This record gives sequence, C-alpha cells and structure tokens, in this order.
Amino acid sequence: MSTLIQDDGRTHLPSMLMKESLVDKRVTAKTDSEHELSILPQVVLVGIGGQSIFDRGKSAVLPLVAELAALRESKIPMVVGVGGGTRVRHTMAVALDLGLPTGGIAQLVGAMEEANAVFLNVLLAKHGSIVMQRDHFWELPLYLQSHMLPIVISIPPYHFWEPPSEGGPLPSHGSDFGLFMYAEVLGMERIVFVKDQDGLYTKDPKKHSDAELIPHISLQDLQKNMPEELILDGMLFEAWKEARHVRRVQIVNGLKPGQLTAALAGEDVGTVIVKE
Amino acid sequence: MEERLNIASALTDATLTRPEVPGFSYDPIAMIPDAKVIKLGGQSLMDRGRDVLVPVLDEVVAAKERFKMLLCCGGGTRARHIYSIASDLEMPTGVLAALGGYVPRQNARMVQMLLAKHDGIFILGDDFEKLPLYFRLGCIPIMTGMPPFGYWEKPGPEGRIPANRTDAGVFLSAEALGAPRAIFVKDEDGLYTDNPKKNPKAEWIPRIGARELLSLDLPDMVVERAAIEYVSRAHFCKELQIINGLKPGSLTRALEGEDIGTIIYQDT
Repeated sequence: MSTLIQDDGRTHLPSMLMKESLVDKRVTAKTDSEHELSILPQVVLVGIGGQSIFDRGKSAVLPLVAELAALRESKIPMVVGVGGGTRVRHTMAVALDLGLPTGGIAQLVGAMEEANAVFLNVLLAKHGSIVMQRDHFWELPLYLQSHMLPIVISIPPYHFWEPPSEGGPLPSHGSDFGLFMYAEVLGMERIVFVKDQDGLYTKDPKKHSDAELIPHISLQDLQKNMPEELILDGMLFEAWKEARHVRRVQIVNGLKPGQLTAALAGEDVGTVIVKE
Repeated sequence: MEERLNIASALTDATLTRPEVPGFSYDPIAMIPDAKVIKLGGQSLMDRGRDVLVPVLDEVVAAKERFKMLLCCGGGTRARHIYSIASDLEMPTGVLAALGGYVPRQNARMVQMLLAKHDGIFILGDDFEKLPLYFRLGCIPIMTGMPPFGYWEKPGPEGRIPANRTDAGVFLSAEALGAPRAIFVKDEDGLYTDNPKKNPKAEWIPRIGARELLSLDLPDMVVERAAIEYVSRAHFCKELQIINGLKPGSLTRALEGEDIGTIIYQDT
C-alpha cells in the first residue's frame, strides 16, 4: 500500500483518487454513498437572534437565559449560537458606503457576533456555559460530556474568501447559514432558531398585517414557494437541499417563555420545516 | 417588552437574508490591484519535485523586484489520499475540506523553505491584512491555496469531494485583493475539451467565457467548477489564466501580461 508510484513524472500515493482529476464527475461520483457518518448525533443546535432577541436587552434576554439554564439542568445536549444583530447591519451599511469588497465585509461582521457570544456567556457562566473558539471545534465532546453549555461563533469562517455573491454586494454566507453548517457537519438532526416572531410567515409580519404564519411545511414545498422576505439566510435553504443530516429546522418566538423548552421537547411550536 | 435597540443606518430595516440591497449602488474599491496572485499546482507541480518546481521558483525570484507576488499552493496526491480515506469512512464533506487543508499548507511550507533566502515567508489567512508590509519589504508571501471554509464547506449534490478547493481559494484570494487576473501554474497548456492525459483527442481552448464554459458542461476540466463560477460574477478578478509550468518562461510571460495558456474570462 505504501509504495510510491512515479511512472509519469509525478510522485503518487496509491489511493482510489490517485492521478485523478477531482473535477471529473466520473471520479467524484465514486466518493458518494447513501450513508454518512454522524459525528455528534442527538445534539440540538439552538440559534438565538441578534436583532430579534439580543438587541431588545434585559427584558428579552434574561427570561431566555433562565430558560437555557433550566434546559441545561435537564441535560439536553445542546450547542448555542447567537447572531450579531443591529451592529452587523450598521457595520455593513458603513462598509458598503465606503466601498469595501464583499470579502472585506465578511471579514468584519463576525466581530459583532463574537461580542454577543461573550454577552451571553457573561450571563450564563454560572450555569456552565463556555464560549468556544472556532478552532477549538474538537473540544465539543468534552463540554457535552460534562453537561456544559457551549456557545459557538455563528458566522462561518469565510472571511476575505467570501465568494462574490449572486445578485448583490452583501456576503451570502451569514450566521444562520453558519449555524446550519455547524449542525450539518456534526451530524445533528435538529436546529431551533429563537427569534421575535412566532415563526416563518408568508410575508414579513412587521411590515404586512395580512402576513400568515406557516406552522408546518416541508423544505420541498417551501422551496416551490419561497417567501420574498425570509426570516433565515437564503443560503441556509440552498445548503439544506444537499445536506445529509439536518432533518428539522424550527423557528420559535423567544419573547414567549416556554417556546424554546417546548421545541427542544420535540413539540411543534412556531414553524417547523422538515426535510423528507 | 422593550423594543429593539436599533442603530439607525441604511440597513436598519433591511431583511439581509439575501445579498441584494435594493436602491443602493455599490462601487467597491480594490485593495491591492497590482498584486499577482499565483497558484502553484499540487499534483501538477509540487508532486513532480525538484526538476519541475525549482525552475518555476527561479522565475519567481527573477521577477521579484518587478511584481508583488502572492504564491498559493495546491494539494496534490496526499490530498487525494486524504479524500479517498475520509470518503471511504463516509465522513461529511466539511471534514474532508478541513482535513484536505493540511496538505497545501505543507506544500506552502516546502516552498517557503526553498525561497527563504529570497525573502519567501509563510503566511496564514489571518496575515492577509499584513500583505502591504510584506510587499513593501520585498518579501514573497507564500500561503495555502485552500479557502478557510473547512467544516463550513457545503455538501454537494454528488460525492463528498469539497467543491471549493485550492483553485477556488486562490481565485478568491485574487478577488479579495482586487487583482484583475489570477495565474494558475499547472502542467498542461491550459484548458482542453476533456482531460488530455486520458483523452488524446481533447482539444486545447485558448480563450473562453466562464458562463459559456460552464454551459458546455465538460466531463473534466483543468480547473475547479467553483472557481469558474466565481469568475462569472467577480467584481475585480475577471480573468483566470492557466499556464504550463513545465515550459520554461511561461510564468515570466504571464506575469508580463502575455495571453499564453488559457484565459477564462467573465462573459455576460
């Protein structure tokens, strides 16, 4: 197995992909299989809105902190991520006006999310929370086994390498997408997003009084008729199409005490989106 | 209940779940538009060893007073070995992307050792903001070609090989710096209608639009599909040039702006 092969001027290591072009579809198809390893199944990812929850301050954040602390006591394995909120918008508005490139904007926004992760940790530290550095990914089993509450940075590490977006200048890989990918790569099946409305509506309910709540929908049906104004990153739904693990994305109202607890217990509160 | 504590800005009430900003004209500035972002192929150059790599690096050294060059390395056969084993173990695409990242970093360190006496320095993605200093000092910064997506690399429709590998990453480095063209040094004269190593009837394509190329849906290409997609919608880097590093002088000619090899350009 360890013999090196040097018959064409290049030094090869024997493997299924030796000498192959990884662009060749006939080759990449060989790396597919029905099953995929779940690294940390049973863990639920909880995403807390930045603008929707954090920017409301004490009255919205403290009841949610109490709920998270109680959930931690009940030993439900979960990982928490937080959005950046209005400071992300301000960052983007200033950056756009200055004419910073898309990758430059992506490089900047993560700081606001990290600040909110620290905010949450200050409040939850006595209940066993810990802010995870991104490159400390593999400490997660330690924290979960010891029933701690890991808080992760939600923005994905695309930074300067954010691909040019389709249709506009803003980075398309935002914090909802980042949390989705966190769950997907670790083989989690469920994500609960905590926002300030009852779930996904046909239109933005803050702007339209005739907006209707969608209580339960499949990803396939949602994609046939995607609302113009989304409550989650459009890229999340793009990634979900090809995802292997995430089965259920739920959006609940964090201003209503008990909704997060009900969602973690598996109840259909808020909006439930399922991939069949 | 307290209201949201918003900071007033042009985006206060925007939905922001998509890249569009209605009614805003965006005119981005290029950071280092005269940077030459060069990819050194993994399988095509690095795995060929001294006979091939050293002459290419000699050209880099000879050109170092004239150009600000950022060298980015590909992976090659060890990356293929990692992808083989990880996909055999049915690991997720994000894990393949993270593990695959180790090999181009090794290659970048190898190139740095070879170029150390000519001011070659190994840099990480986090050092990107220090590039102006490195260029001013006359250094040749060398880094991995892999983009930093790692575990956050999206799964694709078929197979587990990450869509964004070192071609995509190097192109995105050029785009981030605002360079108008990225130069990929490989072991073929450029792009062909099929893999010329396997199909002797494959025809050379000297110049083609990115969208046109994607619409041809060729079975195999010398450059990653993701990189070609990014050419099609980049703000700055509107050309991707692929040259043959086995032919002496190719890199020098490409640095001087000559249209050798294949140029994939942004078409509409």
